[in-house]
Amino acid sequence: MKITQGTFSFLPDLTDAEIGAQIDYALAHGWAIGVEYTDDPHPRNFYWELWGNPMFDLKDAAGAMLEVQACRKAHPQEYVRVNAFDATRGFETTRLSFIVNRPTTEPGFLLKRHEVAGRQIQYTIESYATQKPEGQRYE
Amino acid sequence: MGSQAERYKSGVMPYAQMGYWDADYVPKDTDVIALFRISPQDGVDPIEAAAAVAGESSTATWTVVWTDRLTACEAYRAKAYRVDPVPGAPGQYFSYIAYDLDLFEDGSIANLTASIIGNVFGFKPLKALRLEDMRIPVAYLKTFQGPPTGIVVERERLDKFGRPLLGATTKPKLGLSSKNYGRVVYEALKGGLDFVKDDENINSQAFMHWRDRFLYCMEAVNKAAAATGEVKGHYLNVTAATMEDMYERAEFAKELGSAIVMIDLVIGYTAIQSMGKWARRNDMILHLHRAGHGTYTRQKTHGVSFRVIAKWMRMAGVDHIHAGTIVGKLEGDPNVIKGIYSICRDTYTKQNLEQGVFFDQDWAGLRKLMPVASGGIHAGQMHQLLTYLGEDVVLQFGGGTIGHPQGIQAGATANRVALEVMVKARNEGKDIWNEGPQILAEAAKWCSPLRAALDTWKDVTFNYTSTDTADFVPTATAS
Amino acid sequence: MNSATSAPETVDLSTLLADSRVTEVLDELDRELIGLTPVKARIRDIAALLLVERARKQLGLAGGSPSLHMSFTGNPGTGKTTVALRMAQILHRLGYVRKGHLVAVTRDDLVGQYIGHTAPKTKEILKKAMGGVLFIDEAYYLYRPENERDYGQEAIEILLQVMENQRDDLVVILAGYADRMETFFRSNPGLSSRIAHHLEFPDYLPVELEQIAQRMLAAMQYRLSGSGLAALHEYIPLRMKQPHFANARSIRNALDRARLRQANRLFEQKGRQLDREALMTIEGEDLRASRVFT
Repeated sequence: MKITQGTFSFLPDLTDAEIGAQIDYALAHGWAIGVEYTDDPHPRNFYWELWGNPMFDLKDAAGAMLEVQACRKAHPQEYVRVNAFDATRGFETTRLSFIVNRPTTEPGFLLKRHEVAGRQIQYTIESYATQKPEGQRYE
Repeated sequence: MGSQAERYKSGVMPYAQMGYWDADYVPKDTDVIALFRISPQDGVDPIEAAAAVAGESSTATWTVVWTDRLTACEAYRAKAYRVDPVPGAPGQYFSYIAYDLDLFEDGSIANLTASIIGNVFGFKPLKALRLEDMRIPVAYLKTFQGPPTGIVVERERLDKFGRPLLGATTKPKLGLSSKNYGRVVYEALKGGLDFVKDDENINSQAFMHWRDRFLYCMEAVNKAAAATGEVKGHYLNVTAATMEDMYERAEFAKELGSAIVMIDLVIGYTAIQSMGKWARRNDMILHLHRAGHGTYTRQKTHGVSFRVIAKWMRMAGVDHIHAGTIVGKLEGDPNVIKGIYSICRDTYTKQNLEQGVFFDQDWAGLRKLMPVASGGIHAGQMHQLLTYLGEDVVLQFGGGTIGHPQGIQAGATANRVALEVMVKARNEGKDIWNEGPQILAEAAKWCSPLRAALDTWKDVTFNYTSTDTADFVPTATAS
Repeated sequence: MNSATSAPETVDLSTLLADSRVTEVLDELDRELIGLTPVKARIRDIAALLLVERARKQLGLAGGSPSLHMSFTGNPGTGKTTVALRMAQILHRLGYVRKGHLVAVTRDDLVGQYIGHTAPKTKEILKKAMGGVLFIDEAYYLYRPENERDYGQEAIEILLQVMENQRDDLVVILAGYADRMETFFRSNPGLSSRIAHHLEFPDYLPVELEQIAQRMLAAMQYRLSGSGLAALHEYIPLRMKQPHFANARSIRNALDRARLRQANRLFEQKGRQLDREALMTIEGEDLRASRVFT
């Protein structure tokens, strides 16, 4: 399967030129660029690992692309995403976030059903990948 | 005005002389200001009419009463301080009326509305009356909770940024059994929508009891989340006959792990505020369907403008509000709708007469309300929707998803692909207003659900004259 | 820019020039900086070369991306940073640099104090400069062979890499005293070979320095009296012979000191009413008080 997190995940994978164009859009708005990676694709895993601190004061995507490529090289079989942060009043949050690297095979999620009172079920989803320890999840 | 004795002698006196008209009055920062569109009966002086509205929405009655003198009545009297003829509409006047903060109960929409619109709308000397806009002082706003979640936190909970959210109402509106209903929800969410919703009159009927609906919908939501790796939701409608029933339904939704519940406007302002409080205490996103508003918001001359309703709802505390689509099947002039969206989303709304926004409004840190665009929109309009409505909006494609020739999943995928490709193009600097159709056509080459959607609905438009348009065209100066 | 299936047959250079709006920047440079005739001529040459490169590309001729890295040598106060800024604008308007901003640094911005500190520091600067021009003043301080614990060499390695492999992303301008830059380049032939254009910034002539002084005063709304003008005329050649002469900067300092003396002079006369004329005028005595005249 293919997890469809991030803003452009229903489109074909973005080329480096397309990634650069999105980063340029974010920089034109004065947003900071952050690169993150993870091997735990659970939808409520919000804190992916930081690849360096977010980059402020960039004027051009080329600088950020260096970090994107370095992260992909260091973690080729993990998810890598680019985030754009907006510090203006009323937002102070992420404005754009999209995946730029995926493991070759994505095993998907197990839906666990735990029956409780009446007809109720308590649900948990668990990524098949995380059934293996960190570092061995995507071979 | 003459001496106090003169003023309070028994008998009838024009409102303008009773102190309800004061052309020199400068509104205080702490005053609540209301702007009414007044259509006086023939022969009634506009200033007297404005004063009468001020009076009848504050302390007056139709004759002088001595008991006024037991109060600091000058403070409690609302003051009409400005009357302007409406451009291009003879016989109509914009009247600005200021109300002292002490007239209102802290944090109570029920009281605010009972005060402003509770008495005056049936007043005989007026042919028609419309509450156009209100300026709420920061001092009063601070007594309200506001949206329990707000746009920023909602996105952070869903982990979805940079694009509008996508939803759909299950169709047919009525009649599906719970199990079949849940099937529709599963298909739509799996195909790519973020949310599906109950319709406003899906509460608990013979064909589907609420508990069954909630159980099957949460099965669908969780299955779809596992299939996609995304946070998904279904707005479970907790509208019911009594508050107690509503709490029971909301609690069940929470137990089942839903991220979001919905209520209808017809439950009333008090119930809405109660649900806002409950939602915050229970980390629940609260969606409001504006059921019934069209009875009083749509005609320009009489009623309450939806922009005022939106303000009240942001104060009362809801996270989503249906606010118009512009290009869909329901009423919506582009400028007026943009004005309403500003009121929902700004941290500081600026006066914009072309959009019908009459006042600067400092929102005093109240969270932002996510507008929802729903009603007759389809993927072929994505470039128009994104241009008109921006990014912080929920686009709901009910028929546009469920009516897709290749099935519901395909319908959802078509909408999601159309949206993402349009956002990507916009970010790349393309002129999506003009190139939109080509951009969609390009994407349709590799996405057959989108191609089918465009083929099915490409000629559908809803072009009727708006009944509710702004009065100020771009050449007018902001007075 | 259209992706034509076949290249056009002819190109009009004056249209290309007009479209690029480079002439505006060149004219502004002319207005802003007095003298510097050889530098301005060189800049026009470079602009012409790059414009022709663009034209050649339009007609489908081979080119390869030209090397744009430069060195600016000359004494302090001769306009190197100002010219670097205008160069960034010219490169941007001709399409050789994507954003056209200037990041000006010295050695301390690039080099760290301990192991592992330099690479991230240099990379941070590079990332911020990408899309524009990186101006490194007194670049020779990067190289300190006598200190074996110096980390400047690491910064130089990184710079070399970027100057070679990311020519489309960044233009580097190294600046400093002519003799020291020459030594620096001889010890780092890799750097020297990547520099395409060497610009020398001559010292200003005395008459040019007078004009600069007049401009500075006018901008501050001061003026020289007849005696002031005469004093300035004598002051400049004398000052130029003194050590640590920094051209325009030294003139600026001299004028600031003259203003100080004028203020004191006026203060002595605080009894009488002073008009605009009096407050604006620098007299000869305000300049002649300088040590240079002893």
